[in-house]
Amino acid sequence: MRIRALSALALSALLAVTGCGSGSGSSAGEPVKLLVFGAPEELAAYRTLVGAYQRARDGEQVQLIEASDRKDLLARLATSVAGGAPPDLFLMNYRFYGQFAAKAVVEPLDERIAASSVLDPADYYPVAMEAFRWDGAQLCLPQNVSSLAVYYNRTLFTTYGVPEPTTGWTWNDLVTTATLLTRDDRGLVIKGTEAEGAARLPAVHGVGVEPSIIRLAPLVWSNGGEIVDDPDRPTRLTLDSPAAREALRNLIDLRQAYGVVPSDAEVEAEDDESRFLNGRLAMLMTSRRATTNFRTITDFEWDVAPLPVYREQVGVLHSDAYCMTRGARNKDAAWRFMEYAMGQQGQRIIAATGRTVPSHIQVSRSAAFLDPNQPPRNSQVFLDAVPTVRALPTVSTWPEIEDLSYGILENAVHRGDRLDDVIRELDTKSRPLFARGENG
Amino acid sequence: MSSGGSAPARTDARSRRQLVLMLTPYLVGLVGLVLVPALVTLGMSVTDYDLLTPPTWAGLDNFAALSNDPIFRVALLNSVVFALVAVPLRVSLALGLALLLHRRAPGVGTARTAALLPTAVPEIAYGLLWLWLFNPLYGPINQLLRVGGENGLTALGRTPPQWLTDPTSARAGIILMSLFTMGETFVVLLAARRALPRDVYEMAAIEDATGWDVFRRITLPLMAPVLALLAVRDAVASLHFTFVPAFVVTDGGPPPYATTYLSLFVYQTGFEYLRYGYAAAATLVMMLLTVAAVFVQWRLIRRYRRFYRV
Repeated sequence: MRIRALSALALSALLAVTGCGSGSGSSAGEPVKLLVFGAPEELAAYRTLVGAYQRARDGEQVQLIEASDRKDLLARLATSVAGGAPPDLFLMNYRFYGQFAAKAVVEPLDERIAASSVLDPADYYPVAMEAFRWDGAQLCLPQNVSSLAVYYNRTLFTTYGVPEPTTGWTWNDLVTTATLLTRDDRGLVIKGTEAEGAARLPAVHGVGVEPSIIRLAPLVWSNGGEIVDDPDRPTRLTLDSPAAREALRNLIDLRQAYGVVPSDAEVEAEDDESRFLNGRLAMLMTSRRATTNFRTITDFEWDVAPLPVYREQVGVLHSDAYCMTRGARNKDAAWRFMEYAMGQQGQRIIAATGRTVPSHIQVSRSAAFLDPNQPPRNSQVFLDAVPTVRALPTVSTWPEIEDLSYGILENAVHRGDRLDDVIRELDTKSRPLFARGENG
Repeated sequence: MSSGGSAPARTDARSRRQLVLMLTPYLVGLVGLVLVPALVTLGMSVTDYDLLTPPTWAGLDNFAALSNDPIFRVALLNSVVFALVAVPLRVSLALGLALLLHRRAPGVGTARTAALLPTAVPEIAYGLLWLWLFNPLYGPINQLLRVGGENGLTALGRTPPQWLTDPTSARAGIILMSLFTMGETFVVLLAARRALPRDVYEMAAIEDATGWDVFRRITLPLMAPVLALLAVRDAVASLHFTFVPAFVVTDGGPPPYATTYLSLFVYQTGFEYLRYGYAAAATLVMMLLTVAAVFVQWRLIRRYRRFYRV
């Protein structure tokens, strides 16, 4: 009995010791842990990058930690930081990194950048670099400088004899084009405002656009309006200005007045990206990240066009960056991987997968990104948009504000809520969130 | 005499030691995984804590903020309504199936397996399965409802339920999902029914009692303690088992927060928005709600026992 008890005690002690050991030991020999999320095609792109790095640098190891989505990544990052075992690196959009930057979770990189013989900040698009500066410090390094664009099914345009979108096309052009391309199963133009019970429903919808702030913002800016009262220290949404109201009204009308975007039931049944992929959506407003998925299309030709214009061409920045955690155990090894991923070679590898518009200026202008043999043929659209893109606020509560506004805008587009009510609800409900937020 | 008295005493001491030894793993688990986290949650609920920086004292601010938070109020209401509707339905369904399937008959074994099977499916897989079943256009449920109808309508000329886009249908969908996972309750009630004495039923048959009389005066009173226990357990669990369906199938929507239950609210507030102190306060409210539900049911059971002199 005593022997057994002693054995159990010894085993417990051993487990406790080894348990502690794994939590506080040396980092030597441990792989660099990189936390990312994305669609399977995007994750494959990161695996390609990591594989290339490990082959190029003998002895370097990078472990990819794959979160299922953005929210899962945020939860994993927060809990791992709280638990004292954060990943060395994580990849995050500038819209969501504010809450971590405000809490000093992210390691400033200025000293490492200054000492680097590989990275020169001047090689990168300033708008993307600037989005990841917090209180004057460069916290993360942007891997891409994407923006919103209109993907379109060229084959459908040709079939129905509709002119393809060109640079400088207007919002009215988009509505006209989408109306001409919303067709029933006989190929006839149809107004898809009646979702259920109609004799015929659209087999092809003219356009797909998510009812979110990030989709609405460039339209408001293009019309001369603003999304928030102060981009650096926002305190409220300003969709009550005439310019913003018009842009929002027009977005809602795509569903409520023209019926050219799928209904909420249709979106739930098949999301816009799948709908485009299956040839049932003529145009889709989305960022560059959809490209990897769309390159699997074999049944039709597709391309990309710039956003339609109100008064001036304005885009919205979509940028993700590599960030190092303050609590990283392998900071030097993590930095070496960052240098590789951000360097020409790493940027070429990711660009070749179609996932990103490289933030490295030279790489973005190379065949790695503008490869004429790979769709979209008109990738130049993304580069032309770079001088016009603006960033959304990086206030620490922005994820909450986006989630809140998504629900309200979704009801506006699909349920047809009154515009005044929508704007008022967005304003009153988001004010406390802005008040709670921290700005860099 | 003394040697005769010391032997049972030794046996008692030994059995007590064995009892303590056997209970120790459970107690360690209970303390380490339930009581300590509950106390930590209690502590955090009076702090402003974001998981990333040290907590700061907030007093009752979190609770004051919760009382003014419209999303929390919706989540609280959704959870209470879910418990009030789903728990009686789940227990009634399990009882009905147990009474139907307690006899030996052809096909009963298969039917019992079918009733239990959904409980064995992992929660995420179960959620994904329902995501397909609820698909408004291509899902089998709405396809079936459209049989005999025209232009996407049912045979009665009505729009089939918009499970994922209409708030009421979505709430009904979550309750529907929960009904099929009453397998454990069903098994316990099946065992309880099979354990009831046969002679009572034989006497009832001799006295020409109707089926309803037998159910009301024999089966229900005899099974009442088990039913009460299961109802309490289900009420407590109902605050938890809304999480995966709301997280996987409806994502708390359709807007505005139609299927955001307390469990999802706590998860989103704590882990997505990093308001851990605030989430802890909401968790505490959830615990108090559980205690209140148990207390109310306990009082009802006591009244029932007094009435039947059980």
